[in-house]
Amino acid sequence: MKLGLVIDLDTCVGCHACAVACKEWNGQSLMAGGAPDYDPQGAEPSGVWFNRVRHYEFSAEAASPQGAHINLSKTINVPLSCMHCEDADCVTVCPTGASYKRAEDGIVLIDPEKCMGCNYCAWACPYGARELDTQAGVMRKCTLCVDRIYDEQLPPSQRQPACVLACPSHARHFGDFDDPASPVSLLSAARDGQALMPELDYKPVNRYLPPRAAPAVDTAAASARPGNLKDRLRAIANRLIEL
Amino acid sequence: MKPALSVVFFTVSSGVGLGLMIWASLARLLSAPLPGFDLAMGLATGLFSAGLLSSSMHLANPRNGWRAFAGFRRSWLSREAVFAVLVYPVAALFWWEARRASQSGLLVGAGIMLVALALMVLVCTAMIYACLKTVPHWRSWHTVLGYPLFGLMSGALLWLAVQSVSAASSAAIDAQGGPQAGWWPGLALVLLAAGGVLKLAYYLRFARAPALPSLNAALGLPAGRVRLLDVGHSGRTFLTDEFVFALAREKARGLRWLSLALGFVLPAVLLVVSVRWAGLALLICLAGLLVERWLYFAEAQHVVRVYHGSVAAPQAGTVGGRG
Repeated sequence: MKLGLVIDLDTCVGCHACAVACKEWNGQSLMAGGAPDYDPQGAEPSGVWFNRVRHYEFSAEAASPQGAHINLSKTINVPLSCMHCEDADCVTVCPTGASYKRAEDGIVLIDPEKCMGCNYCAWACPYGARELDTQAGVMRKCTLCVDRIYDEQLPPSQRQPACVLACPSHARHFGDFDDPASPVSLLSAARDGQALMPELDYKPVNRYLPPRAAPAVDTAAASARPGNLKDRLRAIANRLIEL
Repeated sequence: MKPALSVVFFTVSSGVGLGLMIWASLARLLSAPLPGFDLAMGLATGLFSAGLLSSSMHLANPRNGWRAFAGFRRSWLSREAVFAVLVYPVAALFWWEARRASQSGLLVGAGIMLVALALMVLVCTAMIYACLKTVPHWRSWHTVLGYPLFGLMSGALLWLAVQSVSAASSAAIDAQGGPQAGWWPGLALVLLAAGGVLKLAYYLRFARAPALPSLNAALGLPAGRVRLLDVGHSGRTFLTDEFVFALAREKARGLRWLSLALGFVLPAVLLVVSVRWAGLALLICLAGLLVERWLYFAEAQHVVRVYHGSVAAPQAGTVGGRG
């Protein structure tokens, strides 16, 4: 298995619910070891987050599905968490063996019992997915909610990462990329899912769906005066509806 | 990258210690009774150990430090740790045999092994930084060559200083024509010149280092203009503390010249004027290397900065959004 996430940059509304749900679940998780807050009610609140959402402004010339030329202008909200890379340098550079990648499902984890807190894995990660827990002195990261997704006491629909369950706009999807017929594989293929910073060649598993151009409205046709009787009657009906 | 003072001190202190160990060992292999050998080995071990202690201070969880030997087959940091620990028994064996016999097979074997181990530690330290794909500025042969060269260079200066101190209180000075004789001052000068040229080449290449990935590639977006709107957090984070170190370009320029002047040019000038000033030259050189190493971290840019909207100063235009 190659478990990972598909994140839809077209529908993500940037509400940070995924990041908050992650904190809520993993804050007490035995598996992740906790995601502490520092000075939460104080002057300089900070803390460990496994998932951070940043906001960008994007504009491009694009073609609509109908082939019309339109200007795409959009706020893009980008949640970033561990990509569970196939060639994970964070695991390679770890001197203690605390960082490891599971053979069975590809999840990259940290064993806090072995970590010495040298930060080297965080240096090797281009996505900023690893953050040091300065209270415990060990590195923390996304576990893909490994303590949810296999929990048979949960109903099957709940066996998903907390961030995916929390997302109000269904912009996050979880599944197995090894299976070409899995929903995440199909969704990624249909929407041209992208790996982030592919040139570093870490082979990240998570895929990001680029924003779509909205169908263009034919404004010229809409404002043109209707010609025949049928169109005129329709126009009158439309105006009556708007009364 | 955040210049952690513990790591800056570690690489300079261990570098000069290992460099001194290498030169003192080679000198001892070449000539039997050697004034200053004991002092040199003691100093070298002390400086090397001080560096290692300092580097362990940068660990957030030093209790697990002993586990660093586990990843020898994967990690350069682990290799450095293994070779660093191996230096101690081999150095002890070499020193003990050097006191016992003027020349022996064991002495030659242990000496060659010690030199090789010390070089390996220096190369491993360099590879820790050179192997990171996430810091394009470091990923070059300049880094691989720099750490060993600067260690050998400062070590040679310290070896000269040790020789002048011990020769002053030794009769060997007359028999050998003084500590200034021989090829040590020439070697130190050659190393200073090579180090200066290498550092200058690093600074010249810096602006042309591989660019950080474009914001478009970093976000998987098609061609178009993209720029940071909101970083999503209101305060400092681990990521901004560790990777988004801001250094004013004017300040960096001043420090570059300072590191070249103190680290290489001034020590060389002092050495040319008189070898007696080797000690002063060494102190100035170490100050220059501390500046050089601090700058090496402070100037290097981690790719995660791209997500924080950072446009690499020398490469403005190649990073998405401003091009």
